[in-house]
Amino acid sequence: MPRLHTVAALAGAALLTRRALRRRIEHSPLWPLPALPVPTSGRPRARALTLTLARREEIADGVVQLSLTGRELPAWEPGAHLELTLPSGLVRQYSLCGDPADTSAYTLATRLVPADSGGRGGSREVHEELREGMRLRVRGPRNRFALKSSHAYVFVAGGIGITPILPMLRAAEASGADWRVLYCGRGKASMPFLDEVEKIAGPGRLTVVAEDEAGLPDLGALFADVPQAAAVYCCGPEPLMDAVAEVLPAGCTLHLERFTAAAPAEGEEVFEVELRRSGRTVTVAADESVLAAVRKELPDTAYSCEQGFCGTCQQRVLAGEIDHRDELLTDGERDGSMLICVSRARGGRLVLDL
Amino acid sequence: MSNTQARLPKPVTSEHIALKARKVSFAWEETPLHWIPGDPFTTHTINVLHLLLPAGERWFVHVYKQVLPYIEDDRLREDVIGFIGQEAMHAQAHDEVLPHLKELGLDPAPYLAQVDWLFEKLLGDRTLPPGRARKWWLYERVALIAAIEHYTAFLGDWVLNADSLDRKGADPTMLDLLRWHGAEEVEHRSVAFELFLHVDGSYSRRVRTWATAFSALVFLWQRGARFFMANDPTLEDGRASWREFLAKGRQGMLPTAGAMARSIPRYLDRGYHPSQEGSTEQAVAYLASSPAALAALAAEARATSPLPKGAA
Repeated sequence: MPRLHTVAALAGAALLTRRALRRRIEHSPLWPLPALPVPTSGRPRARALTLTLARREEIADGVVQLSLTGRELPAWEPGAHLELTLPSGLVRQYSLCGDPADTSAYTLATRLVPADSGGRGGSREVHEELREGMRLRVRGPRNRFALKSSHAYVFVAGGIGITPILPMLRAAEASGADWRVLYCGRGKASMPFLDEVEKIAGPGRLTVVAEDEAGLPDLGALFADVPQAAAVYCCGPEPLMDAVAEVLPAGCTLHLERFTAAAPAEGEEVFEVELRRSGRTVTVAADESVLAAVRKELPDTAYSCEQGFCGTCQQRVLAGEIDHRDELLTDGERDGSMLICVSRARGGRLVLDL
Repeated sequence: MSNTQARLPKPVTSEHIALKARKVSFAWEETPLHWIPGDPFTTHTINVLHLLLPAGERWFVHVYKQVLPYIEDDRLREDVIGFIGQEAMHAQAHDEVLPHLKELGLDPAPYLAQVDWLFEKLLGDRTLPPGRARKWWLYERVALIAAIEHYTAFLGDWVLNADSLDRKGADPTMLDLLRWHGAEEVEHRSVAFELFLHVDGSYSRRVRTWATAFSALVFLWQRGARFFMANDPTLEDGRASWREFLAKGRQGMLPTAGAMARSIPRYLDRGYHPSQEGSTEQAVAYLASSPAALAALAAEARATSPLPKGAA
């Protein structure tokens, strides 16, 4: 009966294998698949949070401060902003101006911009629709205006542009660096956080210029005796930032935060994109995206949403300054890559690894 | 046997629809660990999705980006481009649940590291000579995705109709995530299979990759459910069992074993086409009422360009 023997031997072997496997799995339940040293999943780029609007107060003419509270909020550094989804679905970004050490609340301030001076409804909704106790969806914080370590700083804030600068002043003071700040605005009544800036700076470091009393600020005087290689941080209306860029002494580095990202559709820059791997260069017209220009040469370039949220068109950037317009990439990813469907070049030329 | 060769996949043409990614976003702070109250087994069995999908759908996108140059049909290319964006958003949405699970005391990292290895290393781009070998491996993966999509569409259709989850008081945010995802899976269920037919379509490859995908899914799913049950900090002696799976199927909390078994011959039928299953109408109707999809629509309707940081 060789057949019976075979069946018995097979059954015995199966039983033994099963027992051995059971033991092995009990010992280590995830045996035997190998694993990556660190999982790549489970680390989303930005998490959505629902926060409570705990306080809303008018801190200057036309400026309201919002305090959003939650539990164990993600940490942030001076210069960071929050993406706020308003009840209507509008998405707006506002700089954080509170204390980074406070993990129970985020503080923002916004100025009402009427529609006839270019407002697009976001600040109006913040001012008119938001009530204390409302639940608001936010994403972030993210930082595109980070305070880099330096021995000397010059801060220039115009009006509501004080919001990202305010936490920077505290950080600069704490680091013991040599710093000064120019805070200008239309009139003192409409300039938020004036007392706080005065308290942090004391008289020696602060210049306050209210246009209705003293006219335009004297930037030349501000930079007259500035230390070598100071870091300059400026946030304010476009003309102010242009003026700062003009008088900037050699050796100083300029960091700008625009409140209306330089994105007026009619005024887009034309620039060149070199596709290094395929050895071609394309010109991106003012009214087209980098993606559209690249696809004329390389029609199989992957993309999908064309609005900067799905991440399919992310490409490595080898050289050139990027004007990031997406809401997806992390600050680390922004260093060497871009979403070519929405982001553009700042300064005329980009080199892509394509 | 004589007539089987002649049977070709028959699409239901009325089921075709233009695809586009929706920019959804979910906030998880208020979702409890057992988001189906008092039913940890069902919760964790469904939670396995959050473990498999981020890595799996990123892998879909990775493979499909490589297959774009081989698509010669413009409508299919449009569909694949829409599909890629939808899958990328699914991966992002499920990825956001994982840190929340960790905060609740259930750290998924050990299992995630394995799933990530599977999709990024085992099923990733092997070091292959350009030409036939590389193309073979690409098409093999395209066929695998088509087989997996048969099951995601099956699950999507199931979750859209799973009224028992509502009756049991499941967390609304989680239900919306599952149903938004399920509806998009039903919406784009034909794309992966049509792409497979377009680039290769051989029946032996369909059977082979189905067998691989099906065994891998069963293996990964039961192991994920066991992993969650064993590591749930609130359960004394958490265990996942086949018996409980069958029982939950009968209660309508999970797909039934019978429905799953019946879906096998359907995929292996030579005349199979995904548009014969599920209902695009139902999926579109859900997407028109889903809180997350509506919020995405509202955000898109108004200018979404990243603008002011203080003013406007």
